[in-house]
Amino acid sequence: MATHTPPPVLEVRNVSVRFGGVAALTDVSMAVWPGEVVALVGDNGAGKSTLVKTISGIQQPDAGEIIVAGRTHAMKGPQDAAAAGIQTVYQDLALCDNLDTVQNLFLGREICLPWWKGRRMDRARMEKRAREVLSDLDVKIRDTRVPSSSLSGGQRQSVAICRSILANPQVVLLDEPTAALGVAQRKQVLALIERLKAQGRAVVIISHDIGDVQQIADRVVVLRLGRKVAEVTRGGYSRDELIAAMTGALDAAELAALRKELAHG
Amino acid sequence: MADLSSDPKALSGRTGFPRMNRHDLMTALATRWRMVPVLIALALIWTYFSWANPLFISPRNLSNLSLQIVVTAIVALGLMFVLVIGEIDLSVAASGAVSAAISAGLAVNAGVDIGIAILVGLGVGAGIGALQGVIVTWFRAPAFIVTLGMSLILQGILLDLLPEGTNLISLVGTPLGKIATLYLSPGMGIALLVAMTALYGFLSWQSWRANHQQALGGSLLREVLLPTAAIAIAGAAAVAVFNAYRGVPGLVAFLLVLLAAFSYVTTQTRFGLYLYAVGANAEAARRAGISVPLVRIAAFTLTGLFAALGGMIAAGRVLGVSPDSADTTLLLEAIAAAVIGGVSLFGGRGSVWAALIGALVIGSVSNGMLLINASTQTRLEVQGAILTLAVVLDALLSRRGGAR
Repeated sequence: MATHTPPPVLEVRNVSVRFGGVAALTDVSMAVWPGEVVALVGDNGAGKSTLVKTISGIQQPDAGEIIVAGRTHAMKGPQDAAAAGIQTVYQDLALCDNLDTVQNLFLGREICLPWWKGRRMDRARMEKRAREVLSDLDVKIRDTRVPSSSLSGGQRQSVAICRSILANPQVVLLDEPTAALGVAQRKQVLALIERLKAQGRAVVIISHDIGDVQQIADRVVVLRLGRKVAEVTRGGYSRDELIAAMTGALDAAELAALRKELAHG
Repeated sequence: MADLSSDPKALSGRTGFPRMNRHDLMTALATRWRMVPVLIALALIWTYFSWANPLFISPRNLSNLSLQIVVTAIVALGLMFVLVIGEIDLSVAASGAVSAAISAGLAVNAGVDIGIAILVGLGVGAGIGALQGVIVTWFRAPAFIVTLGMSLILQGILLDLLPEGTNLISLVGTPLGKIATLYLSPGMGIALLVAMTALYGFLSWQSWRANHQQALGGSLLREVLLPTAAIAIAGAAAVAVFNAYRGVPGLVAFLLVLLAAFSYVTTQTRFGLYLYAVGANAEAARRAGISVPLVRIAAFTLTGLFAALGGMIAAGRVLGVSPDSADTTLLLEAIAAAVIGGVSLFGGRGSVWAALIGALVIGSVSNGMLLINASTQTRLEVQGAILTLAVVLDALLSRRGGAR
């Protein structure tokens, strides 16, 4: 098992979230180190989305802390999470179809010329920066000036991910990045996640696809009914074990065996 | 244009040659080339009427035609802002009439300075627009009904504002009543053309130079010289026609300056970009940190402002404000002009030039039909058919554009 001597870039400590009488998350802890891909898996209603919302500042925890790079952040909104170095990419909600790649990448943070030059958007500088980010992550866009509606699903997801990278975040949260993608496009996006990792960023992905998880994740955190039921590292689990942990089909002894692995890590 | 790699297979993400397929063509028609089918239609309309009655292309008729479309074009320009964010405003005719009645009442009956009276009227129009924007945004009420209700209220207010008995505020002999008779001298028309062309050339040269400084490439000929030359040639032809009659009509010059200014606002500024972003995907815009309510209210405010402007010019042209000023013909023609010009009713698409070209199409049909002595029924049928065709094209392009 890998031993992590440096501090984690993101630490979720004993987080609980309640919606009225329903406990969406109970005492969940996890940590992510730079250059690591952690997958959050679980059945529907397991609390994955609530956890991602909590980390990205949309949902405030009732108990527990979110610690980014050693500092506790009381995040009141997505802006606070962004300021702390956390960017979230939601499934296919990020792009405006009528805007081109550069406009989508910079939406909400356009570079403008000073007022005495008419407050014009500095298209050239944005275009240049966009091409840098795209080529850093090896994303191929034939023409950065065509509207996003003419990009493929994989390209759109890649642009959405690049959009989050413009802010140079330490942690990137990806919500179902490969859902609804074809085989080739899924490969594109998984390769992109590998490159984020190579850049030393911490990546947290939510995924339903066990195949993707096995391929991409260094560690897997399994949630069930709002609790963390298992945490396994690459190669230390089988597909069936993972599904069993997600659905609760695993008996106590098997779960303990899985958990021992966690204790080592 | 912006190739990042030389491997054609890797570029587009799908295998195949980088030739333009059906989908690319539809996308191009929905965006860059959106004006092409409209301009072809306009050329066909002009060709037909010129053939049917050569008087149609006489400088005098073209000059009158362009004066006839100013009000429609200005109101359509205003409507474009709400249409782009995916809303609608059915109160523009009524709010224009009320604003005009207030300005005219202040200037003619209360003896207020004409400049101040006009500013007050414009403020009223903008205020009506802002109010509707607030209602639509805060209560999430459908704009269709909110603005329809507002239109009825405003028609009532208009009757209250007009003097009892005559029901008319006359603008005969006032400065507002003379606006339609102002023409630029031939020299001033040419000066306007030179100034606008030079400004366009300068701005596009600036973009081209910035691209070069960032080593992004780009052709000086294609991006600066050709478009500037095209504007110069088209403008020179227009000015020549106008100067062959009485010169460039003042209102037409005003409309062109307005269109140029708002073309800049919609294509070069953040605010313009946000209009399109909100129209396409309000949720994405919100997540990008854009204040969607503010953008919506601003769009409605601009629509109200242009409605007031249109209402005043209409009053100036017909020399008075009457209950007929709130006539729905203006509303319908302005919406039709925007849609024909390529502003999508589904939100997110359309340029300010749509207002001009769409109004030209509608105005040319009305004008030409009169010249060939066509009956009212034929005129209505033809205009209706053009509008229906335009909206079918819009639906087709919207479906293809968002098909992914």
